[in-house]
Amino acid sequence: MNFINEGSKSLNVKNKKEDVKIVAFLCNWCSYAGADAAGTSRLRQPEDIRIIRVPCSGRINPLFILKAFNLGADGVLVSGCHPNDCHYSEGNFYARRRLEVIKEFLPFIGIDKRRFSYQWVSASEAQKWQKVVINFVKIIKEING
Amino acid sequence: MRIGIFVCYCGSNIGATVDVEKVAQEVLKFPGVVFSQTNLYTCSEPGQNQIKKAIKEHNLTRVIVASCSPRVHNNTFMRAVESAGLNPYLFEMANIREQDSWIHDNREKATQKAIELIRMTVSKVYKNRELYPKYFDLNKNVLVIGGGIAGIQAALDIADGGKKVIMVEKESSIGGRMAQLDKTFPTIDCSACILSPKMVDVGIHENIELLTLSEIVNVEGSIGNFKITIKKKPRYIDLKNCTACGECEKVCPVSYTSIFEAGLARKKAISKMFTQAVPSAYFINNKGKAPCRSSCPADVPAQGYIALIREKKYLEALKLHREENPFPSICSRVCTHPCEISCTRSLVDESISIMNLKRFIADYELKLGEIPLPEMKEKKFKKVAIIGSGPAGLTASYYLSKEGYDVKVFEAFQEAGGMLRFGIPEYRLPSKILNLEIDLIKRMGVEIKTNSEIKNSNEIWKLKEKDGFDAVFLATGANKNVSIQLDGENLRSVISGVDFLRDVKLLKIKKVDGTVAVIGGGNAAIDSSRTALRLGAKEVNIFYRRSLEEMPAMKEEIKDALEEGIKINYLTAPVAINGQDGKVTELILIKNKLGELDSSGRKKPVPVKGSEYKFPVNLVILAIGQEPDTNYLTTGDRTFEVLKNKSIKLDKKNILLVNKDGIFAGGDLVTGPATVTDAIAHGKLAAKVINKYLEGNSLDDIEAEIIKEEGSKIRLEPEEVFTKEALDSFEKISRIFIEKEPVNKRINNFNEVVHSISEERAIKEAQRCLNCSICSECHECIKVCEANAINYNQKEEIITKEVGAIVVATGTDIFNTDVYEEYGGKELKDVISAIQYERLMCASGPTGGHIKRLSDNKEPKKIVFLSCVGSRDKSKGMSYCSAACCMYLAKQAILTKEHIPDSISYIFYTDIRSPGKDYDEFVMRAKEYGTQYIRGKVSKIYKKDGKLIVKGVDTLISEPVEIDADLVVLAPAMIPAKNSKQLAEILNITTGTFGFYTESHPKLRPVETNTSGIYLAGACQSPKDIPESVAQGSATASKILALMSKDKLLTDPIVAKVDQVRCIGCNKCLFVCPFNAIEEVNLINKKIVKVIESVCKGCGLCEATCPIDAISLNGFTDEMILEELEAFSIF
Repeated sequence: MNFINEGSKSLNVKNKKEDVKIVAFLCNWCSYAGADAAGTSRLRQPEDIRIIRVPCSGRINPLFILKAFNLGADGVLVSGCHPNDCHYSEGNFYARRRLEVIKEFLPFIGIDKRRFSYQWVSASEAQKWQKVVINFVKIIKEING
Repeated sequence: MRIGIFVCYCGSNIGATVDVEKVAQEVLKFPGVVFSQTNLYTCSEPGQNQIKKAIKEHNLTRVIVASCSPRVHNNTFMRAVESAGLNPYLFEMANIREQDSWIHDNREKATQKAIELIRMTVSKVYKNRELYPKYFDLNKNVLVIGGGIAGIQAALDIADGGKKVIMVEKESSIGGRMAQLDKTFPTIDCSACILSPKMVDVGIHENIELLTLSEIVNVEGSIGNFKITIKKKPRYIDLKNCTACGECEKVCPVSYTSIFEAGLARKKAISKMFTQAVPSAYFINNKGKAPCRSSCPADVPAQGYIALIREKKYLEALKLHREENPFPSICSRVCTHPCEISCTRSLVDESISIMNLKRFIADYELKLGEIPLPEMKEKKFKKVAIIGSGPAGLTASYYLSKEGYDVKVFEAFQEAGGMLRFGIPEYRLPSKILNLEIDLIKRMGVEIKTNSEIKNSNEIWKLKEKDGFDAVFLATGANKNVSIQLDGENLRSVISGVDFLRDVKLLKIKKVDGTVAVIGGGNAAIDSSRTALRLGAKEVNIFYRRSLEEMPAMKEEIKDALEEGIKINYLTAPVAINGQDGKVTELILIKNKLGELDSSGRKKPVPVKGSEYKFPVNLVILAIGQEPDTNYLTTGDRTFEVLKNKSIKLDKKNILLVNKDGIFAGGDLVTGPATVTDAIAHGKLAAKVINKYLEGNSLDDIEAEIIKEEGSKIRLEPEEVFTKEALDSFEKISRIFIEKEPVNKRINNFNEVVHSISEERAIKEAQRCLNCSICSECHECIKVCEANAINYNQKEEIITKEVGAIVVATGTDIFNTDVYEEYGGKELKDVISAIQYERLMCASGPTGGHIKRLSDNKEPKKIVFLSCVGSRDKSKGMSYCSAACCMYLAKQAILTKEHIPDSISYIFYTDIRSPGKDYDEFVMRAKEYGTQYIRGKVSKIYKKDGKLIVKGVDTLISEPVEIDADLVVLAPAMIPAKNSKQLAEILNITTGTFGFYTESHPKLRPVETNTSGIYLAGACQSPKDIPESVAQGSATASKILALMSKDKLLTDPIVAKVDQVRCIGCNKCLFVCPFNAIEEVNLINKKIVKVIESVCKGCGLCEATCPIDAISLNGFTDEMILEELEAFSIF
């Protein structure tokens, strides 16, 4: 359903194979703490991700994701507490609905939906976070070609 | 804007990967940045002083520290910024350690990333605004949920600290799991001896309010101001009065399996949970209204009188019956017994023969002579008139007369009894029996005036206005025939069922000749047929338009009728009644088939075309239905309204009120034709309502009270009383066989058909009762309680309490080991759980402290203990370690040796886990006692020659092991307490993978939850032993006392804020807020929302939901995040 295939690429100022720009929105309680734990365990990751800390995945306005692509992001990653484990008890349920809709919507504005991913990473899942980052960067690099 | 940036080396943690100096240089180029500096350790005191100094010297208005994660040092730096006079919310951190230097090796790229991260933070900090926390009062009361050792410790420490504690315990006593234990490790001191003084302290502490049998149903608010809603179940005992003398327990006829004794003993329905229970008072375990009782329209406590029959207290049983229904003799013969239909026993084998048990006690009393008078209250000198002496009228007269009213009953016929006398044939209800029960009412002083028909409404009003009656109860029944609407209905020898049965009773019809056809399928049709047969009919045919399944007559009656030779023609209906010379000669009948369901829920009969046939008859009895005769209500000057279905119109249905001037109605006149018991129920209700009315209560109040009373009844459904496993475990015993008069001896006379049962068989049948509601409400305990402590009127209460903090100490449950079929599941009686073994060893346990096998009561000599049954076993149980089992098995092995010196114990273990003070020494002691530790699992246990063969493997020597044991003890996993998930939802706290409550931090905040103000103690957080639970109890207490030492609390200003101008009051935010922190307010003709700052937790769900950006979260506004994104895009 890619009407304008890879439209976002033209907005990418760098557009180099090795360098990709990825922004990640992480909830403060699970995933940001998980990313911190990955750091504490010195789990090596690619340098391409910039993390923005938000209180809850439910705080994420879908606009942020579109805005990020608009501003030239090659990929947008969202991660929050596992469903049923939200620090605010139900924020990630709302997030899940919104993010799924956004994911399905992206092809309509010409963005490959693989450029957007949402994950559930808990504060103790340092290794999972590392894996998520490595995989996501790999996918984005593949799409960028 | 003057921004100062401090870039941290963090020793070599950052410095080794990031060129810190370069970063400090680069960031100076960003707009607004006026100062940058590097520090070796920014978080150290010199580092913090540098920040303070720079703020002052360079007039900084924003501060950024680029160092570790904000989760580590945000608060440290905020305090430093604040002490330099800058609002701490103008500070931000850039995480260049955990998310940069620690995860990258490429120095160039890591340095570039650090610069970019700081650039994003600079953009965010532009938008930071000064924020100020607010103060709010905190409530200094504390709620402790759970009365186990952890909760007890927390409560006592907090109460000793001078704060009020409300302890909520769901059982009838506090004590929890520890109360069940015999001895405790590693000191082998008696569990009860060290626990009960603490329990007593809780009971008498002036600062502790103990609420037993209570559960939390709702929690609102947040730290400092929680509002708790508690459901308190009735104990049915006044705590103030009960002296725990135990007399009640001796007379209680019901016992049930004790959960406290781990299923090894039974306890009475009125009992104490255990000897040392606190509060030291009895408790009646009443689960509600048993299915038999709740299905009875008259609310007769069948389980109660059955329990008394078991105890041979027959007269007491009758007395109990008459409290709800004055006609045990009559009802034992004619009731449709819905109690038997709903009897839970029918799920096991067959329902209890409740009606015949009743018949037994009623007949027992008759043999003794006349029915004793009930206790009568003092005369009230008020008069009540009752119209109609059927079951409704007579019941009302009985209870009103008992209350002390002067009652006069007006009866149209020459004898009292209504349908009981004229509608039910002699062979089912002998007149002698009816007369005896009516005589009782007469002996009580009720005047029954026969041959006194009330002919019109004027006469009713005359009773009220001229004759001095204070209230009138209309109970004239439903005795008018419904017409079949066929030609020939008026022929001679065509008679209605009602008229036929009455005329037989009045001896107007003494003989029936030839062939009789009865039309209808109800009890009246069966009664008419059997009566006609007894009067000499050659052949009796019943024609019913539907099939046997839909037939409303009682199944036993149908069976009896068929036995007597009555023919029932199903799916057949008359289309014409033909006659000659005015006398009936034949019926024209048509065959039906069943179609769609009709409004009554039964299949509609549809005539089959061309299937008509002739049937010659001599007498046709039309028993197709009755309706109330309401002529007298609708004639006269001040008439009463009658509904379409011919029943009287009521003003207030719930209290049977016809007219506010004290006119009531009940029975068939209101319901249309119904059962005797329905009429009795109405009579009883009318008596209750009329009594309240005459005592001067307003009708609205009476109605409200009746509705409330109905609503508060807990009705048990047969399916919910027992689990399927429990039902399967009951021994199957067939229902008592009821003897009847042989067919050839009964079809030519009116002798009673059903025989009474013997005492011996009655008791046997009564023993089949499963005691569904546990307490049978037989009221025997009330009779012996000298302290007057028993109060059956206690109702479930909803209590609200306000507290500032909550301790959750709900403990743990035990894993059901039945899934381990290889260990015998439920089949092997001598494979028991460790908690059962604990009870067997306990001196106050079911065996008085003697270890015995459950199968043969023999003392076991070879005992095998299995650890990790359900623990550390992903395939069948839980993957975690239950923490205490290794230790208590060592204890049980030591104690076994002390109880039975010539015994030997084997412990199969996975790994011995004994980390704790004196713990490993304790395990060594067990070994010194001769306990054989075998490292390995058991694969199978089976029975052979009276021994349990335990097959396993010793993994240390890789050899199979086989032990012929006498007893096997399983150490089951500790699992989260039942309903702990629901409580988590109520409290808004989280549960982990296995359902235990999650602490805020596994190392640094072990007793806090992520919901401030809620703390965890004991095994609800994870499996743990007593010392650890006690330590956690005290830890929560110290946390709470520290909290309570403040007079006011600060709010976190990271809360949502509403733009009052933009808000359109769509309430979307209100629906998504998980904390109910948003409320609707009126703002000059406009509905908008407002954030309750003390409740808001700052998740920002509302901001992402608001369709018009009218609500934003301080510290994380859309603006800030979009600025960060813009900064992200620069590079």
